[in-house]
Amino acid sequence: MYGGTPSGGIGISGSSSGGRAWPSTTSVSSSGKRIQKEMTELSIEAPPDCAAGPKGDNLYHWVATLFGPPGTPYEGGIYFLDITFPSDYPFKPPKVVFKTRIYHCNVEPSGNVSLDILTDNWSPALTISKVLLALRSMFTTPETYKPVVPGIAHLYFEDKAKHDEIATEWTLRFAR
Amino acid sequence: MGSDSIANASIPMLSSNPKDFAKKKRANRSAKLKQCKLDARREQWLSQVKNKGSNEELNGGGGAPGQGMHVANERGLLMEKLVIKPRGDEEKENGGCTNNYSDFDSPSNSPTSDTSLLEGNDSGTNFTGASSSSSSSSSSSGGCCSGSMSEEDNEGDDGCLDDWEAVADALAATDKKQEQLSSSLDSAPERDENVVHVSSPEDPDRHESGLDVSKQKPWEPISPVSFRAWRPDDAFRPQSLPTLSKQYTFPMNLGQHYRGGSVWGCKSLSIPTSCPICCEDLDFTDTSFLPCPCGFRLCLFCHKRILEEDGRCPSCRKQYKHDPLEGETTEDAGSLTFRPTRSCSMISRS
Repeated sequence: MYGGTPSGGIGISGSSSGGRAWPSTTSVSSSGKRIQKEMTELSIEAPPDCAAGPKGDNLYHWVATLFGPPGTPYEGGIYFLDITFPSDYPFKPPKVVFKTRIYHCNVEPSGNVSLDILTDNWSPALTISKVLLALRSMFTTPETYKPVVPGIAHLYFEDKAKHDEIATEWTLRFAR
Repeated sequence: MGSDSIANASIPMLSSNPKDFAKKKRANRSAKLKQCKLDARREQWLSQVKNKGSNEELNGGGGAPGQGMHVANERGLLMEKLVIKPRGDEEKENGGCTNNYSDFDSPSNSPTSDTSLLEGNDSGTNFTGASSSSSSSSSSSGGCCSGSMSEEDNEGDDGCLDDWEAVADALAATDKKQEQLSSSLDSAPERDENVVHVSSPEDPDRHESGLDVSKQKPWEPISPVSFRAWRPDDAFRPQSLPTLSKQYTFPMNLGQHYRGGSVWGCKSLSIPTSCPICCEDLDFTDTSFLPCPCGFRLCLFCHKRILEEDGRCPSCRKQYKHDPLEGETTEDAGSLTFRPTRSCSMISRS
């Protein structure tokens, strides 16, 4: 069945796959190299209560996991985030979206995060590791001066106990 | 003979252990060593008497009495007597002489052992000097050695055993030399003369022995070498001796090397090897490029890219200052001088 010409076909297919592998390595742009380096660094040492890595084969599409820090209404919650790198990544910020619903004044109901370092204050020197740390600090101290959900920020100022109560309820409902 | 020397060599090797260990097994080992040494010495003497001619017998006889400082003068006198005598007489005399002295070897220990500890130490130092000064005059130093060893053993385990390791090492050395003696028999008497010079400078008959040395000039060039300690590449150097000089120089070199390495490490810390933005390796132009006073370095490509966008330093977020130099690099004219390839490509594109 596979004798004769088919074996030659297999040989050709192998060589073609090798040929395919070669341009793919060269096609890794500077962003790809940078993302790969960040991935290895994260696998070596990740920030506390954080994990991040490529979702599948696509290097530009990551999934991250954040554990709600203790002492916050988000304690005990596990939050999944999607991180999408732009093709010109280090010069443009990654897009971070909460896949788990969260009651937070800096997270849109759709899950988009409005962190200053993810928009205007992005720097090419920042890494995903630092972004995860910023998200973690966002749990403990919400950025109430530039909220994307002003109602939550308002409640945070007016009645923090009520705010925390709702946040805890959301955590129990969605993040467990 | 060979097995004896091996046994003797193995004991000093053990003696190079830490001192506390040596102290623990001090009594056992000193007794063992004493036995070994005495047996080996006797066998050596016997074999010498059997095998070798008159000349080395004379040396053995001359060397044997040199067990203490008080014997040194006497030995010198004897030595000179023997050396001055013509060869024919020596052969006659040597039979009695060497036998006397080889017997004299062990009895002489008991009187010296009764003397003070200081004298024992003296004999030890005398012995080490003799052994180091004469690289192949094994018989005389061997005689000294056995004397000092037994003295130390008799005097107890207090102070003398501080020299124990040195004595043991030297014993091994002399044993080794004994093996090599057969090749250089004739050189031995003349070196014994040197030993006599050292041990008894006030000897009245000294010039005679000096003359004797001068007569045997062909061996002269070796004797100044023999006054030194063993060099690492010395053929007569015993293997049991630690290679201290090597061990000393090796860490030195290592330290220098390491210092050099650490310097380079510091340099690489201050100047990253790869661009923190694009993770590409920095070339020489990139490493010498410092666009921001905050010290953040990046490659010229990323710098250009950032200048095209917001133009802020990634580290301190301050606007890149358009210094005359750096401004020119980003301008077309400057890029011609600083990055010719890039400007060329841009020109070709436009």
